[in-house]
Amino acid sequence: MRRILAVAALLAAALAVFLYVRGSAPGPLTLTSAGTRYAVTVVVPRPTAGRVTAEVQVTSGEPRTVTLSTVMPGMGHATPEIVADGQGPGRYVAEGELFPMAGVWELSVRLNGAAGEEVLVVKAPITG
Amino acid sequence: MIRPLRVLCLVAVLLLAGSAPAAAHNVTAGADLRFAQTIAGAELTVVIKGTSRVPGPLLIGVIAYEPATGPPVGLEVRSVEDGHKVTATAQPSATPRYAKLPVEHTGPHELRLTAGGEVAVLPFRVLVDRGSAGEFLIYGGLLVAGLLLVGGLLTGALSRRTPAMLLAGGAAAAVTVAAMVVVFEPALPPPPPDGAVPTVDTRAVGAPAAGRPFARGRVTTLPASPAPGEEFTLRLDLTDGSTGHPVDDLVLHHEALAHLVVTSEDGAYFRHLHPLRTAPGRLEARLRADRPGRFLAYAELEREDSGGQLLDGAFRVAGHAPAVLPTPPATGITPVLRPSVPVAGRPTAIEVGIGVTPRQWLGMSGHLIVRSQDGTFFGHVHEMGVPAPRLRFTFSFPAPGRYLAWAQYAAGDRIVTVPFTVEVAEALG
Repeated sequence: MRRILAVAALLAAALAVFLYVRGSAPGPLTLTSAGTRYAVTVVVPRPTAGRVTAEVQVTSGEPRTVTLSTVMPGMGHATPEIVADGQGPGRYVAEGELFPMAGVWELSVRLNGAAGEEVLVVKAPITG
Repeated sequence: MIRPLRVLCLVAVLLLAGSAPAAAHNVTAGADLRFAQTIAGAELTVVIKGTSRVPGPLLIGVIAYEPATGPPVGLEVRSVEDGHKVTATAQPSATPRYAKLPVEHTGPHELRLTAGGEVAVLPFRVLVDRGSAGEFLIYGGLLVAGLLLVGGLLTGALSRRTPAMLLAGGAAAAVTVAAMVVVFEPALPPPPPDGAVPTVDTRAVGAPAAGRPFARGRVTTLPASPAPGEEFTLRLDLTDGSTGHPVDDLVLHHEALAHLVVTSEDGAYFRHLHPLRTAPGRLEARLRADRPGRFLAYAELEREDSGGQLLDGAFRVAGHAPAVLPTPPATGITPVLRPSVPVAGRPTAIEVGIGVTPRQWLGMSGHLIVRSQDGTFFGHVHEMGVPAPRLRFTFSFPAPGRYLAWAQYAAGDRIVTVPFTVEVAEALG
């Protein structure tokens, strides 16, 4: 009976750990924002502090240039703008130190094109 | 055996608990958002009532504090995530009818208000509470226990001892998980609702949440030198003191993004307005000045995760001749002060007998704006106590001298301003 109870307890603990790990692992970040001129989906495959790669998929509008910059409002930190390289229709990729530390960052996507300029802001939670 | 099991269950429950979201412009069922706005010359409060589900309706109404003569206010709710838009109109009224605007998703939205050629864009988030992980564990645990017990009884009846014991053991574990969650769940924070701002626990990397940097404000007018009687736009551009970026994280502070008080240097002219957010980090209000000269503007506002702060600036109205503007009749009310000659640094009780029980306006029965004669000090005091035909304020004037004061309340179909002056004596000894 004791052995069975111990097995049951282990199973319960394994389930709890599985749910926790599934809920907290820094998986890819996918953030969307729609303005009045452009709409974007930003994908950060590894959202961690330090150098990252961010892909901007423009889902509406035709910008000529796409630049990314970030602000951490809680700490008053800001980063320089990074120009994203066009890598196909509506696909832009930027690489750089967008998130110097863990926390919630505001990622600004500045889009310029024939429709004018618009800045779309998404909130990026960065762990680790 | 039970003891380690209890510890394991507690650890499991603690691990599954999330952190609560920061409060900002969040609309949830039962927690309305109220934005005061001065638009098209009228003092209005826009109320957004939340929904308990998505897709679901947001109810939006516009409360008027003065007779509403203008056209209805245009409402447009837009999802910032997917651009989905819905529109409606609302007629401002003391007891408004609520327009239904269906929203598809939780998360960030914008409410665009249009009236009399003016436009305001108010950001907010739609949140919907979701069931807690605790509930899932309680009901899941009980369901599993029930199934296993039935299985255990059947296998026991068929004299299959080992499977019967395994099933009974599993049932015992499931019941224990459910019971532990029942015991510990009330002590745990609720999970963040759907649509909440993401949060990151940064304590582990040594970055505690510590408010936000100060904001600076730049006051300008359009046109640059308005004439007395001419309508002009007073613009306040807000900049973050640490990053130089526009400040676009204002939260509701006493039911407004900002309280803008504009006074002439001599204090004879007074306006308390609620400017419109026309762009990120930009607030604007339209007004007319009745005299030439220097005017002082004070903006009281609050950034997310921060306390209230005061920004000030000045502008000039050109010309030499005053203009006659429509003004409400004098109230004839004389406030009573105790002590009758206030002493600097000591509390003074100010009672304003208004003869009617006021309506709630900006979340309070009454407001008292105080300005030192030279304009270097500004105070905003709230009425305290139960609604009654008088307003009571307590304020400690910081230094001796002459102060200009304006008590304000809403009653019937108007907002009443009672101007008076206070002479403050130096503390003896």
